[in-house]
Amino acid sequence: MSEAIVVENLTKVYGKPGTGLLAVDQIGFEVHEGEVFGFLGPNGAGKTTTQRMLTTLLEPTSGRIVIFGHDLARDAYPVKRQMGLVPEESNVYTELTAWDNLMFTAQLYRVPRHERAQRAQQLLESFGLWEKRNVRVENFSKGMRRRLSIAMAIIHRPRLLFLDEPTPGLDTQSAHAIRDLIRQLNAEGTTIFLTTHQIEEANQLCDRVAIINHGHIAAIDTPERLKAAFRRVQSVEVALEPDGQTHGGALSALAGVTHVVKMGDKWRLYTQDPSMLLPQVTDYARASGLRLISLSTLGPSLEDVFLELTGQQVGTIRHDMAEEGPRRRGMKGQMGGGR
Amino acid sequence: MKSAWWQRLRDELAQAWTVMLKDLRTQYLRPGMIMFAFLMPFFMFFSFAVRRDMAAAQGVARLLALTTFFTASAAGPFIIPLERRVGTYDRLLAAPMSLLTLLAGKAAVGALFAMGVSVFSLLVGVVAFGATIARPWLLVAGITLGSFSFSALGLIFGSIPTRNPGDVQMPSTLLRWALMFVSGVFIPLAEMAPAARAVAYISPLTYAQDLMNHAVLGMGTLSSWLDLALLLACGLLFMVPPVLMHRRARRLGY
Repeated sequence: MSEAIVVENLTKVYGKPGTGLLAVDQIGFEVHEGEVFGFLGPNGAGKTTTQRMLTTLLEPTSGRIVIFGHDLARDAYPVKRQMGLVPEESNVYTELTAWDNLMFTAQLYRVPRHERAQRAQQLLESFGLWEKRNVRVENFSKGMRRRLSIAMAIIHRPRLLFLDEPTPGLDTQSAHAIRDLIRQLNAEGTTIFLTTHQIEEANQLCDRVAIINHGHIAAIDTPERLKAAFRRVQSVEVALEPDGQTHGGALSALAGVTHVVKMGDKWRLYTQDPSMLLPQVTDYARASGLRLISLSTLGPSLEDVFLELTGQQVGTIRHDMAEEGPRRRGMKGQMGGGR
Repeated sequence: MKSAWWQRLRDELAQAWTVMLKDLRTQYLRPGMIMFAFLMPFFMFFSFAVRRDMAAAQGVARLLALTTFFTASAAGPFIIPLERRVGTYDRLLAAPMSLLTLLAGKAAVGALFAMGVSVFSLLVGVVAFGATIARPWLLVAGITLGSFSFSALGLIFGSIPTRNPGDVQMPSTLLRWALMFVSGVFIPLAEMAPAARAVAYISPLTYAQDLMNHAVLGMGTLSSWLDLALLLACGLLFMVPPVLMHRRARRLGY
């Protein structure tokens, strides 16, 4: 399998090395041509810094980036011709119409003159913007700007597309439409580098994901393999009546429960062994005179994996700095993918 | 090999042209541009010209030097930080073109704005005040060269690594005002004390003003060829700091 991107020992220090802010610390990974590669991490983990280095917008402090066989530090021009960039903020020209935005980008990327109008029309139609082609973009909704921004990034038919947080802040319909677009682009052969902190989005779209935290790659693998490696964060979800909301303390005392999280009208009990916990839950309900409304076992979600790897506790938003270092080191050994 | 090189050159020129056209369409009506690029030179001129005994041709020569200088040098410090702030500058930096092409496109925007305002000033001077032009070809060359040279000066400030146009406006306005007062626009070069004249020779505006005097009045203090050569040299020299500052901005993350 040929590699679209090869990253080796990539480091970025803002400010002077030694005293500056270490944003990315000697990371390394490969992105295969034709795959959707997710780059996940909490805010400030180094996602956008990495993506800006990959798209030539930021100079690395050290390390090497090779895209389609070209070393980015020495030969960026052919790479720039083959890549598209959709940044986090839709950087469209609000003073221009949708049509003029696309024409400008087509001219900038030297799309042949006779193909520009045809490609622009095709994109505007498939992105649902054709009727608004002559409207100034300042009158567009956030979702429409996002779609236009993606259309501008692909009008020159790039082999590699960088997407930075493509759906946050969008309504469900727009977000769904953009995910479909990403799938379609990938099906047509475009390699996608997706930077996101939306775990479910990565789960749905990505062939492989890398999880970055505090400038280090914590793990790289397919979503399913990552989940399989985290059997210890399996859970049992139970809904009880009456007064089902008041039993958290008692449920957390059951043998094998690592911690308990209230999920709406249900309780989620995290455990390494759901089969041992299930009879305890039914026994507890019977002994307390409670009715079991629902009882199910859940495997680890990608979100659980992400929270584990980024040092946050599963099911909460608590960030435990003290546990982070050892856990991350432990996972690197376990996953074998992080560098 | 030659055809690849030729194709690349054609692409880069077309991209500079594309950047320039886009900026012309998106920036000319912004309040900052209207204030600092279009109105400021006229305010400056009238504040000094009103109630002074000055021939129409003298007034036109000064106004032309002021409009090329102020309008051309206003575009860069305004447009680039604003584009950095809204994120559209990243689109240009990530595009397959050299940094020099991008900067050439940006320099052309300020120059074209300046040429437009200068033509307007010239028409007012000729039609309304009956001014005559002694050497029209020198006027065309002076306005064109001065506009590009001062636009490149503006790029130096536009290349300061910031996303806030306000951070750039202060130093750029300070320098432009200082240059205006030392450059023989309001006190002719020939009437300056030797020390003041020595300072005036540092300023590129001095050569633009002298060139306008040659073109409009038919006489100047220095050789018109020297004025043209020094304006060209300044324009080329002024392109160096923006390239270095953009490289620094790329290291810093702007």
